[in-house]
Amino acid sequence: MAGLTRTAGAFAVTPHKISVCILLQIYAPSAQMSLPFPFSSVSQHNRLGLYLLSLTKSCDDIFEPKLEELINQLRDVGEEMDAWLTDHLTNRFSSLASPDDLLNFFNDMRGILGSPDSGVVQDDQIILDPNSNLGMFVRRCILAFNLLSFEGVCHLFSSIEDYCKEAHSSSAQFDGSNNDLESLTHYDQMDMEIYAIDKATEELELQKNASGSVPFHLHTPEAIFKVIEGLRVSPKESSRTRKKITEATLVSSASSSTVEDTLVDESLFLRTNLQIQGFLMEQADAIETHRSSSSFSSSSIESFLEQLQNLAPELHRVHFLRYLNKLHSDDYFAALDNLLRYFDYSAGTEGFDLVAPSADCSMYGRYEIGLLCLGMMHFRFGHPNLALEVLTEAVRVSQQLSNDTCLAYTLAAMSNLLSEMGIASASSVLGSSYSPVTSTASSLSVQQRVYILLKESLRRADSLKLRRLVASNHLAMAKFELMHVQRPLLSFGPKASMRHKTCPVSVCKEIRLGAHLISDFSSESSTMTVDGSLSSAWLKDLQKPWGPPVVSQDSGSRKSSTFFKLCDHSVSIPGSVSQLIGASYLLRATSWEFYGSAPMARMNTLVYATLFGDSSSSSDAELAYLKLIQHLALYKGHKDAFAALKIAEEKFLTVSKSKILLLKLQLLHERALHCGNLKLAQRMCNELGGLASTAMGVDMELKVEASLREARILLAAKQYSQAANVGHSLFCTCHKFNLQIEKASVLLLLAEIHKKSGNSVLGLPYALASISFCQSFNLDLLRASATLTLAELWLGLGSNHAKRALDLLHGAFPMILGHGGLELRARAYIFEANCYLSDPSFSVSTDSDTVLDSLRQASDELESLEYHELAAEASYLMAMVYDKLGRVEEREEAASLFKKHIIALENPQDVEQNMA
Amino acid sequence: MVSKESCRNEIRAAIRQLSDRCLYSAAKWAGEQLVGIEQDPSNFTPSNTRFQRGSSSIRRRFSTNESISTPQPSVGFSQAATPLPEEDETIDGDLYLLAKSYFDCREYRRASHVLRDQTSKKSVFLHFYALYLAGEKRKEEEMIELEGPLGKSDAINRELVSLERDLSALRRTGAIDSFGLYLYGVVLKEKGNETLAIASLVESVNSYPWNWSAWSELQSLCTSIETLDRLNLNNHWMKDFFLGYAYQELRMHTESLAKYDYLQGIFSFSNYIQAQTAKAQYSLREFDQVEIMFEELLRNDPYRVEDMDLYSNVLYAKEACAALSYLAHKVFLTDKYRPESCCIIGNYYSLKGQHEKAVMYFRRALKLSKKYLSAWTLMGHEYVEMKNTPAAIDAYRRAVDINPSDYRAWYGLGQAYEMMGMPFYALHYFRKSIFFLPNDSRLWIAMAKCYQTEQLYMLEEAIKCYKRAVNCTDTEGIALNQLAKLHQKLGRNEEAAFYFEKDLERMDAEGLEGPNMFEALVFLATHFKNHKKFEEAEVYCTRLLDYSGPEKEKAKSLLRGIRMAQTGFPSMDLEHFPI
Repeated sequence: MAGLTRTAGAFAVTPHKISVCILLQIYAPSAQMSLPFPFSSVSQHNRLGLYLLSLTKSCDDIFEPKLEELINQLRDVGEEMDAWLTDHLTNRFSSLASPDDLLNFFNDMRGILGSPDSGVVQDDQIILDPNSNLGMFVRRCILAFNLLSFEGVCHLFSSIEDYCKEAHSSSAQFDGSNNDLESLTHYDQMDMEIYAIDKATEELELQKNASGSVPFHLHTPEAIFKVIEGLRVSPKESSRTRKKITEATLVSSASSSTVEDTLVDESLFLRTNLQIQGFLMEQADAIETHRSSSSFSSSSIESFLEQLQNLAPELHRVHFLRYLNKLHSDDYFAALDNLLRYFDYSAGTEGFDLVAPSADCSMYGRYEIGLLCLGMMHFRFGHPNLALEVLTEAVRVSQQLSNDTCLAYTLAAMSNLLSEMGIASASSVLGSSYSPVTSTASSLSVQQRVYILLKESLRRADSLKLRRLVASNHLAMAKFELMHVQRPLLSFGPKASMRHKTCPVSVCKEIRLGAHLISDFSSESSTMTVDGSLSSAWLKDLQKPWGPPVVSQDSGSRKSSTFFKLCDHSVSIPGSVSQLIGASYLLRATSWEFYGSAPMARMNTLVYATLFGDSSSSSDAELAYLKLIQHLALYKGHKDAFAALKIAEEKFLTVSKSKILLLKLQLLHERALHCGNLKLAQRMCNELGGLASTAMGVDMELKVEASLREARILLAAKQYSQAANVGHSLFCTCHKFNLQIEKASVLLLLAEIHKKSGNSVLGLPYALASISFCQSFNLDLLRASATLTLAELWLGLGSNHAKRALDLLHGAFPMILGHGGLELRARAYIFEANCYLSDPSFSVSTDSDTVLDSLRQASDELESLEYHELAAEASYLMAMVYDKLGRVEEREEAASLFKKHIIALENPQDVEQNMA
Repeated sequence: MVSKESCRNEIRAAIRQLSDRCLYSAAKWAGEQLVGIEQDPSNFTPSNTRFQRGSSSIRRRFSTNESISTPQPSVGFSQAATPLPEEDETIDGDLYLLAKSYFDCREYRRASHVLRDQTSKKSVFLHFYALYLAGEKRKEEEMIELEGPLGKSDAINRELVSLERDLSALRRTGAIDSFGLYLYGVVLKEKGNETLAIASLVESVNSYPWNWSAWSELQSLCTSIETLDRLNLNNHWMKDFFLGYAYQELRMHTESLAKYDYLQGIFSFSNYIQAQTAKAQYSLREFDQVEIMFEELLRNDPYRVEDMDLYSNVLYAKEACAALSYLAHKVFLTDKYRPESCCIIGNYYSLKGQHEKAVMYFRRALKLSKKYLSAWTLMGHEYVEMKNTPAAIDAYRRAVDINPSDYRAWYGLGQAYEMMGMPFYALHYFRKSIFFLPNDSRLWIAMAKCYQTEQLYMLEEAIKCYKRAVNCTDTEGIALNQLAKLHQKLGRNEEAAFYFEKDLERMDAEGLEGPNMFEALVFLATHFKNHKKFEEAEVYCTRLLDYSGPEKEKAKSLLRGIRMAQTGFPSMDLEHFPI
């Protein structure tokens, strides 16, 4: 903070750091030996060094490990010489009898550092380079100690006493919760434990001699635990539970009245600032990715953050974390409060400096980032108007302070906001806003503004080399290209050419550009977290083999496994980057879906779900699931889809703004329509329409979909004129709101309506128009299905057009069979049979297989789809053919199938019961 | 009914008991009230009169009036008089005497140790109290020693645990007296157990109401009016003191003024009541009255430092440099290491425009007392003056986090953000400050200005805010003028005329003149002329004629136009024709 004293980043000596120093003394004793005393091999020596390095870097918690935990870890690292190490450690601590000893200790520490000017280093000599990581650590410790006043030394001394005492009393405390007083007294003495350890090592050696293998889990504390509790609890687990207990008591400090609580309270030491920052960053990632999963509770994070805030009131990042946490648990007021507090205290300069290291505007603070966050928060909580106002202000302020980075981000956020808000609600908002950026475009439609904003943001991000933003902007651009039909941007009005088209090439280009830039993310990612999490992963790995009895003889294999894990960690990509890559795959899937290639869409979704499932945000993961389920429904029938839906529901229902409900309604609607249960279909459709108009605004696309579905119901109920009316008004709506792609499907629907009502002549222009729309928008699958409808219309004009219809169908067949869903394929097959049958030049008796084959195919596919109407038609045709051929048995079979389907169609009730 | 005499006797006994238990600040407070009671005619000694002579003539007149109509029915004064507890031992034990002298020399641990095995209630209490104070002293020291890298200051009173254990044991056996209950309440409060603390303190004040320390601890726990109402307190005149204080802290100033007014019936010379009244009046922004009260207070009690920071705020607001420097010098000589003194000096430097020095003194005040709220806020003001907005925001935010209902700090935050060109962001803070003080026109005007900025330009909202400001009796008269101008800008001439007329009325009433006046007159004249209300228009024009300058010419041409229109000429714009 500019005006106030701040000592953030200072480095305080704590008992844990002294422990590390003691170990460092063992690692690199000042006496120059090639291999210091207790180590038997170089690899052992290196292992301790690696361990110490991780200790100074790891960031898996905010608190420093207790002595007990340290000793536990040492047991793993030290292998054969663990007893010696722990012995040495505890002895060293107990030898610190007065503040003067501390002073001497740190004087000794100076000796293990190599002097910077000693140029000649002998080959085997072990010297701690003062500029190495460990050397720096030692130097910082010494410096921090030298800065301490006498009171400070006294405090350090008394906290060392607590630290040592607690190593023993904490286990006693845990037992105390079991009211096992006997074990408490048993276990209170330090000597006792040393004795016990000695005994354990003796035992170990005995066993080693006997069998040559050492059971890893066998060491004293656990043995005692087992005796006490009567069940197997590994020390790690027990320490976990103990930690939970202490945490719980800390939170409910109102009831804390016992001595132990205060003891715990006092002996908490925070890690170094960098370690905490790294840990907080990890937590932030965790909040973002795991907010939906049940194992992740926001309240536990909250209590931990509260604790941290008490311990480090000047660490303002905590406020930001609290904001994130509250944001994801949908607590508006607390989120707002914490966000404002964070920016009030830190002026946006703490924490963000890791991302954007430009320090030029520190004089004024970085409040524009606060505005950006506030805007995004408002958006998330469903206040788009407020969000837009705030973002406009953010644009203005960042322009004022010439913070281009923030400006680029803000523009991207704004375009995202506008594109997600839907069109109907956005137009009213934009009228009132006043902004240098948006006002230039005040005459443009929302889509064009989104486009302009994206372009601006992209340009800035590109020049600032914000790779992630560039990538995500490319993705957004691809999305935009996909969703919105292009028009020449600057020529408007009645005279301008109104030729609309989509451009798959540009979508592809944008996606590729996005993915390409991601590949060199490494320059941007912060090394702190990666390093820290790597170290803590290594430390955790030490304890892993404790659960099952791992034989230490094959320690080679154990090492290799840790090695692989380390590799795995070291190439791990920052969460945000992998999220972006995942999003690009999702977008690819969507674009394939649009352009009509189901297999490609499915493949991309599967790639996403398998590779990026863990790192993705839950809403993206949900989207992937939805896509897969939709695919299932189209290609495998509804039964499978519903089974999958059930799984997805369990997983994602907790996600805010879940789209699962939407999908469920869609599926139910389709199924009801197929089964002829029109009432149910109507109900589903109505609910869908309800979802379209939320408090946040009207989702036009959803609304159009709902009325499209309504028209389908009317069509199925043979209310042709009403259906046509709905279709017409729908077309008008689409035109009004520039929903070009929906127009094509509405036209197709109108053609269908006329076809069903037997008015083929009227239907033809609609079908043709739909085809031409599809052509210019590259909607291949829709075009194929429109072609099918066109062919059906031709056939409807009379059997003399059968040849033409067949030609049309055969032209569309590759697309339909390759990419179409079950329903479309079945329809095509039936229609093909129909064509042949109505062709006067076709004789059933000679060429029956052509017809029967396609009919069989169709009825197979319809069976899994439960589409009774079409299935009845197929079996009817089959029966007719068999009749002609004189195959009575098969005819009867087909006829009974026909009857079954007709009955099912007429009695939809029992089907519904099945469904429910 | 409570007679002054019985009050006096109660307090006299209480002071003795309180000082026996080394509850010095409570004893001090009681002593102040004792001499605050109007003079006892029976032991009318010259020294006593001298003490009360200092009171101003106003007060004197006021008080004599009161004493003439003496048998005033003082309703509501303590009905059930609480009997004074008898001392459990007439002769103090030797160990007690030793301990008390240790205590008086601030050797708390020693005092506590001496009394470790004593059984008399007084000794037991003193034992625990000394222990508590020893812990507090150590805590204060540790607070400075232990300042961690990230501001961590986990210094706690290490005696709390054992104190809580022992006191709760005492309470269970019923061996605890009201003083012990007070200490128990304090310990519970420090441990964060507020409900139990309140219960314990209520029990304490119900059995022994004269311990003001207990009352003020209780007050600090009553953070909302609901908790205050839920307290089950016996009626006693001390309760009225408590309520007055509590109401004040809950910003119910008129209620608290009523209480103090009432108490003045008995304690007519109490400095405490006078200071508290001044505080309430200050919150109601009656600066002149407050200044008089403080002057009087200082005349009676020249070495008083308490509440003097408030006086300095008043002097600051009135820009009385000399008086402020006099006050600063005086408190500096009395006790320079009090947060109040530092605050006064800071105020002085701020008024002189030496903001760096001011900040230094506010910082010192904060060093002396971390929770000294107004220093944070004032420091924020200084940083704003120094154009160091981030630092200002930080300071204000700290004030807000200490006391979320500090509307000044919220307002300051809003102002700082507005200064940085973030009016929309600032609005949230203005809203917060208005929430805590809804009837202050300045806050509403600030918010309206925020809406009016060219970045937001939300004039409708600004108009709404100005209307609220007008309703809150805007003393500076900005709101009316702005309302009229805004309406004019939006083309609503009727409303604009209405507000210009109102503004004109206000200026006439206050005898002000200035550009606003001309503007209003010109607008009204043209407005009425355009609406063919020539008589009104003429009135305004003739008023304009009194002044010189371009307005006069304008008025002349307007008048000419009016004449023309009246004589039936076609209503064309005649001004453009050279006559």
